[in-house]
Amino acid sequence: MMRKKLIALTLLIGSAQLSCTDNFDAINTDPTRASSAIFDPNLLLPSIQYNHVNANSGYNGPILFQAGWIQILASTTSGAANYYSNADKYVISSNTNDYLQRTWSIDYTAASYAYEMEQLTNNNAALVNLNNIAKIMQVQCLANITDTYGDVPYTQALQAKSNGVTLPAYDSQDAIYKNMLSRLETATAALSSSAALPTNDAFAYKGDITKWKKFGYSLMLKLAMRLTKSDLATAKTYAEKAVAGGVFTSVDDDAYVVANNANGYGNSNGQALTTGADIYQVRWSKTLIDYLKATNDPRLSVVSEVPVDGLAANQLVTAGNSTPSAQLGLPNGYDLNGGATDISKSPNYPGGTGSGADATPIGKYSRPTTIYRNRDAPLFVLTYAETELLLAEAATRGFTVGGTAAGHYKNGVVAGMQSLAKYGTGGTISSTTASTYADANPLVAANALKQINEQIWATTGLLMNFMESWNNWKRSGFPALTPVNYTGNFSNGQIPRRQPYPTNEATLNTASYTSAVSKLSGGDNWTSRVYWDKQ
Amino acid sequence: MLQRTFSRALLVLGTILFLTVSSFAADLVITGKVQDEKGNELAGATVTVKGTSKGANTDANGNYRINVTSAEDVLVFSYIGYNKEEIIVGSKSVINVKLTPGDATLNEVVVTALGVSREARTIGYAVTTVNADVLNKARENNIGNSLAGRVAGLNVKGTNGGPGSTAKILMRGMPSINSAGSPLIVINGVPMDNTQRGSAGEWGGADGGDGLGNLNPDDIENMTVLKGQSASALYGARASNGVILITTRKGKKGDFSIEYNANLTADSPINFTDFQYEYGQGMGGLKPTTVVGAQQTARMSWGAKLDGSQVIQFDGNQYAYSAQRNNVKNFYRTGSNFTNTVSVTKGGDNGSFRISASNLDNKSTLPNSGLVRKTFNVTADQNITSKLSVSLLANYIDERITAKPQLSDGPLNANNGYLLATNIDERILAPGYNPTTGREVVFSDDNYVTNPYFVINKYINDVNRKRLISMISTKYQFASWIYAQARVGYDNSNDRINNVTPYGTDYSYQFKDGILLGSGGLNELSNAQRTELNIDGLVGINKAITPAFTIDALVGGNIRKNQYEKISIGGGPFVLPGLYSFNNVVNFNRNYEVANTEVQSGYYSVDLGYKNFLNLTTTGRYDTYSTLPSANRGIFTPSVNAALVFTDLVKVPNLSFGKLRAGYAVTSGEPTTAYGTSVYYGVGSALNGIPTGNFNSNLPNLFLKPFTKTELEVGLELKFFGNRLGLDAAVYTQKTRNEILPANYSASTGYTSGVVGTGSVQNTGLELLLTGTPVKTSKLAWNVSLNLTSVHNKVLQTDANNNPISLGSNRATLGNAITAFVVGEAGPQIRAYDYKYASNGQIIVDASGLPVRGDLINMGTVLPTLYGGLNNEFIFGGFNLSFLIDYNYGNKILSATENYAYRRGLAKETLVGRETGITTGVVEGGAANTVRASAQDYYTALANNVTKVSVLDGDFIKFRQLTFGYNVPAALLTKVPLIRAVNISLVGRNLFYITKKATNIDPESSFGANLRYSGIEGASLPSVRNYGVNLNIKFK
Repeated sequence: MMRKKLIALTLLIGSAQLSCTDNFDAINTDPTRASSAIFDPNLLLPSIQYNHVNANSGYNGPILFQAGWIQILASTTSGAANYYSNADKYVISSNTNDYLQRTWSIDYTAASYAYEMEQLTNNNAALVNLNNIAKIMQVQCLANITDTYGDVPYTQALQAKSNGVTLPAYDSQDAIYKNMLSRLETATAALSSSAALPTNDAFAYKGDITKWKKFGYSLMLKLAMRLTKSDLATAKTYAEKAVAGGVFTSVDDDAYVVANNANGYGNSNGQALTTGADIYQVRWSKTLIDYLKATNDPRLSVVSEVPVDGLAANQLVTAGNSTPSAQLGLPNGYDLNGGATDISKSPNYPGGTGSGADATPIGKYSRPTTIYRNRDAPLFVLTYAETELLLAEAATRGFTVGGTAAGHYKNGVVAGMQSLAKYGTGGTISSTTASTYADANPLVAANALKQINEQIWATTGLLMNFMESWNNWKRSGFPALTPVNYTGNFSNGQIPRRQPYPTNEATLNTASYTSAVSKLSGGDNWTSRVYWDKQ
Repeated sequence: MLQRTFSRALLVLGTILFLTVSSFAADLVITGKVQDEKGNELAGATVTVKGTSKGANTDANGNYRINVTSAEDVLVFSYIGYNKEEIIVGSKSVINVKLTPGDATLNEVVVTALGVSREARTIGYAVTTVNADVLNKARENNIGNSLAGRVAGLNVKGTNGGPGSTAKILMRGMPSINSAGSPLIVINGVPMDNTQRGSAGEWGGADGGDGLGNLNPDDIENMTVLKGQSASALYGARASNGVILITTRKGKKGDFSIEYNANLTADSPINFTDFQYEYGQGMGGLKPTTVVGAQQTARMSWGAKLDGSQVIQFDGNQYAYSAQRNNVKNFYRTGSNFTNTVSVTKGGDNGSFRISASNLDNKSTLPNSGLVRKTFNVTADQNITSKLSVSLLANYIDERITAKPQLSDGPLNANNGYLLATNIDERILAPGYNPTTGREVVFSDDNYVTNPYFVINKYINDVNRKRLISMISTKYQFASWIYAQARVGYDNSNDRINNVTPYGTDYSYQFKDGILLGSGGLNELSNAQRTELNIDGLVGINKAITPAFTIDALVGGNIRKNQYEKISIGGGPFVLPGLYSFNNVVNFNRNYEVANTEVQSGYYSVDLGYKNFLNLTTTGRYDTYSTLPSANRGIFTPSVNAALVFTDLVKVPNLSFGKLRAGYAVTSGEPTTAYGTSVYYGVGSALNGIPTGNFNSNLPNLFLKPFTKTELEVGLELKFFGNRLGLDAAVYTQKTRNEILPANYSASTGYTSGVVGTGSVQNTGLELLLTGTPVKTSKLAWNVSLNLTSVHNKVLQTDANNNPISLGSNRATLGNAITAFVVGEAGPQIRAYDYKYASNGQIIVDASGLPVRGDLINMGTVLPTLYGGLNNEFIFGGFNLSFLIDYNYGNKILSATENYAYRRGLAKETLVGRETGITTGVVEGGAANTVRASAQDYYTALANNVTKVSVLDGDFIKFRQLTFGYNVPAALLTKVPLIRAVNISLVGRNLFYITKKATNIDPESSFGANLRYSGIEGASLPSVRNYGVNLNIKFK
């Protein structure tokens, strides 16, 4: 009997394990994530904002590409091994093909969040602001992508889930711009201070819909001005619409995200500049420092320092000498390899610092100051300074934008200096100093376009928005830069004007990619010009 | 509904079992002795009751004891190499038999699906059994690797990932797009978890190891490989990659022995590079002249001719500018593996057990890295009544891996030294950190390439796995022809990982406002629990309907539950140096992962036999998968196969045995991950206090259904000249449909990948096994076996658009050379860029005279299309000598080493044009190029633009294994106390390549543990040559 009981028990325990498949839906539900039923689309806004600024910073491209191309930064690294060769000398590093696809991947991710936020708020009158912010942020992201790569997927983009489009066609940049401008117009106009405000805004706006409206129109102004070479009429139309709608009016309107490294939202520029090799190897370009020194720009002592003497000290973050007269920019295009392009062969080479094993041949060149070595530093999207400088150009071109070119220029110069304060107290320049400088260096009508666009270049460069410096240089031709022509470079001795498409586009979206490449006059390379970048 | 019915059926089955326990008659006990033709007692001979699974083994004196239920029962006596003998019990209580030498295969019994033993001659599909004696003398720490070259159809490659690395096992080519590729591992009839715990990729990472690698080779009796789908149809989804059945060692009746086995082997690292040593460090043909210049060029050999002069280095000291060829030898150490296993076995009348304890101490070739594995194994079989028997298995493993190495192109990988400039002695990088500050000493231009000495002195990546594989099986024999069986298997492993980026790691320094926050970080302190529960019940019958017709059938059901949960914490940077605690960080983070899946299945199998020469088997299985949407959750898959021993019908001269077999089978499968069929949104960490949301960039698919795999197989087995020569051949064709796989999308779609259910691949193959005994005398026997596999894979469909599906890459050629599934080609296919050619076939160069990129071309598959092994065994007296040669043809390798060798001026090819420069090719338009490019620029551009130069041929023939053993004659031991038998063997594995095509690398080397990274190579641990000694002592 005992035995029977034992067996019975065994079998009963065994059978108790059995179940039916009715609970399979429960088993196959991820307990860690939410369904759309309970998800709040407001949560996507900060993800859009951070991903977008992250696509425009650090190793995601700009600090390794544009920062050097437009001679804001310079570096003596060379050869295949170091990544700053991409920027300084247009020479590939072993991971160039990775770096060139990051802006694409990350900004499309940002745009994808924006698209989803739009989908989740469609036909929801209560969330009309979030819905339109979603559209504005899509324009912000997609504009950045098309400015970087040229023709890109736009009308069919982002729809793998909603419409099953996995092979989106590339649209012409001309069409993309026209659509973005009209989309911005509708979306910005639809923002309403009487509807619910966004609750999770990572911009300093904190959901203030008036500021979002200014952002929408300021973005419209910037995109309109991109077209001055290619489609002046459209540029004029939308620049004037933007002003009529109301653009930024003070540095308090600046659109930026304060990074938060502790939670995984680091400032990628700050991360790069606090990396050992980069601390030593990344210097301000001679072009930039010469520009700042020529007018005794008060930003010089805030942004630039010469490291303490000696190799070891050059590799540390210890604050250096910020005296403006001591600053010296590193000329682009030199290396440390002992040959004809060794830095010691550069004109007026100042010599190194330190001696013996502690000697460094680049010790006298200026580098970014401590305010930039901060993984929590702000990442800029669009500033009042840029807006005013673009208005100065618009006025110069005779657009109806109100005010005078000189007045806008002065506002832009002052604002550019004041925006640096967002890096913390170390970046503060008093309004008196800024105004005094601006008054001493007014806009000269005969030289207006050069002055304005050089100022945009320096202002965006010093705020480490290198993409913007580069795009505006492509558009305006200012500052006039002498390209580096280093042996083995990938752009035929020319400053790159676009990034090639991510290499996997050729296999992931073959027909669309091939068609897009066939429209590029020079092929899918670094020097082909995008639509608005006319000769 | 069907599932509910099935569950009820199991309940009913249980009730029947319970009710019928007492309804059968008492046992008769039969005893006796089994002898050979000369009257020698045969120990370990098998005695079974025909038509039942009841059996016993003879003891050391040839005696057996067995219970039968009736006088009509037939006892079957068998012993390897002897003819089977069948005797009806009748009125006898003592039955003695003398066996005559004969055909081993005629009565060979193999374990097949669900642990059912069947006579080999009745099986309609390909099965190969490998006995442990060939696996555990010259051993691999991962027993999976021991199967390399042993089994036709099976392709095995290890990973150069250091201690606890994965064995990549592929059955019959690439079994499917979807799978990780590894066959289902079944231990004593119950599936065990063989999940690969992470793999290195192009961004670095470590090989997390697999499940199979935890087993102690000393506990294994044999491994049976079920190759085809027919063989594995009864196991369902995961068996679509084939099945490996592991039978552990057990106690035998009448046996009492204590056995000690010691195995000591050394791992000697091998440097396969064949670099140039004419030019040294530098760029542009110049030596470094400054500290920073030296640091910049530490991994660049574009300098001057090596002339022995004193040249400055990154540390400020002067060293000779002369060739340093021994960096691999100097940096790595000779690794060692020391295994001690003690086991006790005992068998009584009604049960037996075996207990073993084992310790493996493995010191990796990478200094400071290693593995200690303690294994405790218990198996017990007990007859509770004459009808009810119970089997138990408990296998406890405690495995501790110290400093599991980082691989591929990520920081903290210690294996980058082989790319140092030709004149740098790696030892000058030691100790890799500043003794005062603890900060890493950066030796090169890239501080993400960590100083290798810093890694070996500071890096922490400790993985501790505690795992219990347990199984209980009960069987009730209602009558001689009907039985029921219930089994529960539970495999539970806990992995604790402590992975630290050490304080002082250069790239990790963090500052704010010019103040040092700290450095390093706690990457992961985690605990992961992974369990697999299998509950299986079946009822089987086994009966002769008429004297000619037999039926062997079973019906059963199975529930499998897999659960995974991982909790980890981390943070950084560390505030205080050297304290690697979670509390010592500036910022914290945490992670939680969970995955639960369940499968419920019902199955049947019917085998009809006619006069023991014709067998027809059909199986059917219904599976329901929790990972699929409710509308498409279940699927029925059938199989049928037949075996005909035609030599029983027609006698052919010299042909002692001939069998023809054929089979058709369908198996089904599910997604590899849970939760892929719904849209989810997640909440991310807060950005400056603002909560954030996100969703996965992998697009789910709401309409998936089970994928299927069908296979048609025909085989032929022949034995000639009294089994002196044998042939076993199989041809098959397989096809998968509706495979569930990750498709890659352009990021512009809003998603970077998605789950699709459209994949289809085809495999056709031929497998041959030739065995022979060319010499067989009383003094010398020579056995030889050759196996050969030829398999051709073709991807028929990928995603809906038939886009290539990207797999892996290495960072050197990132995006410019990848592996992918390409429609119409064998997978995984290497795709790389060719030269651009002018119409006259000359290469096109740009205005700087540098080669430009042409078309992306398919370079070939990473999996071999022809492979196998040749094994020879010589037995002379107490000595035996065996060696295994294996071969591998038809695959390509995407080599980061080769790419870097071009970029960094290490490849011998880069000597061409060093002094003169290179003027080659034509410019666009066809005019001859007149621009001279420096060798450095030319080869750098070549490596970057023409990535096909990084694709190498994987062909090789390798002298895989040698064992030379000696059994101390029993006569010498009779007077020795305690000791009964001693075997000592000298062993060697991975000894040398007889031929290989790839220079600079080991064609078997890889960093990635799964199909995705198959055939991709670079910056992993060097391959090793392994040699040592195995000592086995059996005590009285």
